[in-house]
Amino acid sequence: MGSYELSLVTLAAIYVMLALSLNLITGFCGQISLGHAAFFGAGAYAAALLTKSGWPLAPALVSGAVLAAAFGFVVGLASLRVRHDFLAITTMGVGFLFIGFVRKQQGLGGELGLSGIPDHGLGPWGLAALTVTLAAATAALSLHIRRVWAGQAFAAIADDEDTARALGIDVMRYKLTAFVLGTALAGLAGGLFAHFTRFIIPDAFGFTVSISILAMVIIGGIGSTWGVLAGAVILTLMPELFRFINDYKLLLYGGLLLLVMRFAPGGLAGGIAALTARLRGAT
Amino acid sequence: MLHVELTIQGLINGSMYALMAVGLTLVYGLLRILHVAHAGLYTLGAYIAVLIANATGSLALGAAVAIPVVGLAGMIVYRLLYEPILHRPPYVALIASIGLFIVMEESYRLIFGPYGETFNAPYLAERVSVGPIGAKAAEVAMVAGAIVLLGVLAFLSKRTRFGIAWRATVTDPAMARAFGVDTIAVRYANFFIASALAASAAVLVAVLNNLVEPTMGSVPSYKTLAIIVLGGLGNVAGTLVAALALGVIEAFGTIYIGHLLDRDAIAFLFLVLVLMIRPQGLFAAR
Amino acid sequence: MTALLEVEGVGVRFGGIQALDDVSFALAEGELLGLIGPNGAGKTTMLRAITGVIRPNPGRIRLAGADITDFSTDRRARTGLALTHQIVKPLRAMTARDNVALAAGHAKTTNVLAALFAIDRTKELARADELLRLVGIENHADAMPSTLPLGALKRLEVARALALDPKVLLLDEPLAGLNHVEAARLADTIVDLNRAGMSIVLIEHNLGEVMRICPRLMVLDNGRRIAMGAAKTVMEDPFVRAAYLGREAGDAAA
Repeated sequence: MGSYELSLVTLAAIYVMLALSLNLITGFCGQISLGHAAFFGAGAYAAALLTKSGWPLAPALVSGAVLAAAFGFVVGLASLRVRHDFLAITTMGVGFLFIGFVRKQQGLGGELGLSGIPDHGLGPWGLAALTVTLAAATAALSLHIRRVWAGQAFAAIADDEDTARALGIDVMRYKLTAFVLGTALAGLAGGLFAHFTRFIIPDAFGFTVSISILAMVIIGGIGSTWGVLAGAVILTLMPELFRFINDYKLLLYGGLLLLVMRFAPGGLAGGIAALTARLRGAT
Repeated sequence: MLHVELTIQGLINGSMYALMAVGLTLVYGLLRILHVAHAGLYTLGAYIAVLIANATGSLALGAAVAIPVVGLAGMIVYRLLYEPILHRPPYVALIASIGLFIVMEESYRLIFGPYGETFNAPYLAERVSVGPIGAKAAEVAMVAGAIVLLGVLAFLSKRTRFGIAWRATVTDPAMARAFGVDTIAVRYANFFIASALAASAAVLVAVLNNLVEPTMGSVPSYKTLAIIVLGGLGNVAGTLVAALALGVIEAFGTIYIGHLLDRDAIAFLFLVLVLMIRPQGLFAAR
Repeated sequence: MTALLEVEGVGVRFGGIQALDDVSFALAEGELLGLIGPNGAGKTTMLRAITGVIRPNPGRIRLAGADITDFSTDRRARTGLALTHQIVKPLRAMTARDNVALAAGHAKTTNVLAALFAIDRTKELARADELLRLVGIENHADAMPSTLPLGALKRLEVARALALDPKVLLLDEPLAGLNHVEAARLADTIVDLNRAGMSIVLIEHNLGEVMRICPRLMVLDNGRRIAMGAAKTVMEDPFVRAAYLGREAGDAAA
C-alpha cells in the first residue's frame, strides 16, 4: 500500500467515526443535528492547539474529545427545549455560530486557519492503524449500544418521546448521554483529522461538511451501524477513486440525499433488508 | 448619523429577507415543510432574468419571464418531490430539500460556471438622496418592491376567495375540504406564489449587486430558515417583523461585535438565544 | 383502608379558563374508582395533572404517602404511576412483546450508565409474554403494532402499563372506539386486574360499563367535583343528572 492509499484509508476511517457518531445522536436517539461538523471542528482545533503548545498526541486527542463533549452537552440541553424542525434549525445555527466565531479569532488563526500542526510521529502506517482501530471501536460501541437496555431506551425516545416518558424512561438523561457520546467521538475524529492534514481552516468544519456527514448516515441507512459504516466508506472513497467524480462530489451527495429521501428513506441498509426479505419470500 | 445609516442598510437587507422568508413561511404554514430548496428557485430566477436581459436588452422582459417560470418550477418541485413524502416524518422532506438545493447550486455552477454573470447594462446604479441620507436607486427599488409585493399578498390573503380558501386550508384542511375548498389547488397556488416571490427578490438582489452567481442563494437560504423560526413558523406577520429585525440586528452587529463573530453567525446567535428563551419563536402562530 | 393516591385541592388554569377548581379525592389500596363527567368536565386535565404533563397550581398529589407534585412524568412512572392513553401510543418500531418488555425493564433503564452495560432481557421477555397472556393478546406477541387491530392495541397499552409494576393504574378511556362486545370483554379484564389487587382509576365515557364495573364513582363537571360515592347513589344525584341531562338537552337544542 502506497502513501496515497494509506491516506485514503485514514480519511475513510475518520469519516466512519464521524458518521457513526452522528448516527448515535440522530439514528439511535432520533435527535436530528445539522451542525455535527462543529464538534468535529472543536476537537480538531483543541487538539491542534495543544500539540502545537507541546502536549503529546494522546492527551491532546482526549482533551479535544472532552471539549467537544462539553460543547455537545450544551447543545444537548438545547434539544430538551426544542424538538424536530426547531432542533434541526437550532443545530444548524450552532454550526454557523461555530465557524463564524472561529473565523474571527486571531488565536485560532482566523480565516487562514492553523498550520504547522506537529507531526504525530506515528508514520503513515501508524496513523492509519490508529484511525482504523478507533473507527472499529466506534462501530463496536454502536453495535453494543443496540444490544443493551440503553439502546432500547434510545429507540423508544426516537420513536415517541412522550410515550418513552410514560414508560419511566428519563428522556433528558438519555438525550444528553447520546449528545455527549456522539460529540465526544466527533471531537476525537477532529483531533485525528487535524494531525492527519496538519493544517486546518474554518471551512473544513462548515455546513457543507455537516450535511456530508448527515448524507453518509442517511444514505447508509439511518440507525443501521453497518449501513452507516458502508455509507461513510463509499461516499469518502468514491470521489477519490473515480477522479472524474471529484468535481461533481457535492452534486453526487446532494443527488443521493434527494433520491434516498424520495424513494428509499431506509437507505442502503433498508434497501438490502427489503431485498433479502423479498428473496426469502421467493424461496 | 451612523445609526440611521445602519438602520436603513438593515431595512434594505431585511426587505430582501422578508420577500424570501414570506414564501418559506407560506410553505411551512401549509405543509410543515422546511423548504430549503426555495433558495435554489431564487437563484434560478436571477439566472433567467440576467440571461434574458442580456440577450434582449430588456430587464423588464427578463423579470416578466423569470417570475412566472420560477413559480411553475416551484409547483413542479412540490409535485415531484414533496407530495409523495408528505406522510413521512418531517426530517425526510427537510433533508430531501437540502439535497435538492445542493443539486440546484451545483448544477448552476456546472452549467453557468463558478464566476457568475453580470448585466451588460447595469440598471439602477445611480444614487438617489433625500436630504442627507443617500441610497442606491436599486436599494430604493428593493424596499419599494418588497412593500408593493407584500402589500399585494396581504390584499390577496384578506380580500379574495383564494385568500380565504388558503387560510381555511392552513387552519383545518379537512374542514376546508368539507366546505368545498380544493386543497390540492391551494397547495399548488401556494408554491407558485411563494416561488414567484423568491424570484422577485432574486431579480432585485441581482440588480442591486449587479451579480448573479451559483451560490447567491446559500446565505439567504439558511438565514431565512432562522427568520421563519423566529417569526413563529407559519406566521406571516411575525416573519415580516423578524426579517426586518434581523436585517437591522445584523447591520448593527457587524459594526459592534464584528470582531467576535461574522455576519452570518450574528444572525444565528440571535436565533439560538431567542429559541432557548422562547422555544416557540418570537411570534408563535399556535 | 389506606389512601394510595391522594389528590388534594388541585386547581389548573389555562389562560382565562379554570379547567380544574379545588378538586380532591383519594384512591384506596385495591380500589377501582370510576372518574366520569361530560365532555370538557376536566377529566383529561385531572389525568394530566396526576401524570405530570401539567403542573397543578395550587394542589398536591401524593402517591403511597410520598409527595410527587414536583416529579417529572418519567419519575412518576418509576415511582409507580402507570397510564394507558386514550389514543393508543405503541412504539411503532418494536414488536408488541418488545413494547411490553421495555416497560418491564424499568429498573434497568432507570440508570443510564448501568443501562449502557446491561444486556440480559430473559426475565423481562418472560414477563412480557405473561402480561400479554393476561390481557389476552399472547398470539400477537411478535406482531408490529401497525398490523394490529385497535382492540389489541388497547390491550397492549394495558399490558405495557402493568409491566411498570405500578402501584396505581390510570386508564384513560380504554373502551373508547371499541364495539359493544370488545368493550365488555376489556371491562371484564379490568375487573379481573382489580380483583388480583391492582388499584385503578378508570376514566371512561361508556357509562353503562362504568356503572357495571366500578363500585365507586367521582363526577367532574366544569372543573369541579360535583359528586363522589357509591355508583348507584351518585347516578341518582340530581346534580349529576342535571350535569349530564342538561348538557345533553343543551346539545340537542344547539
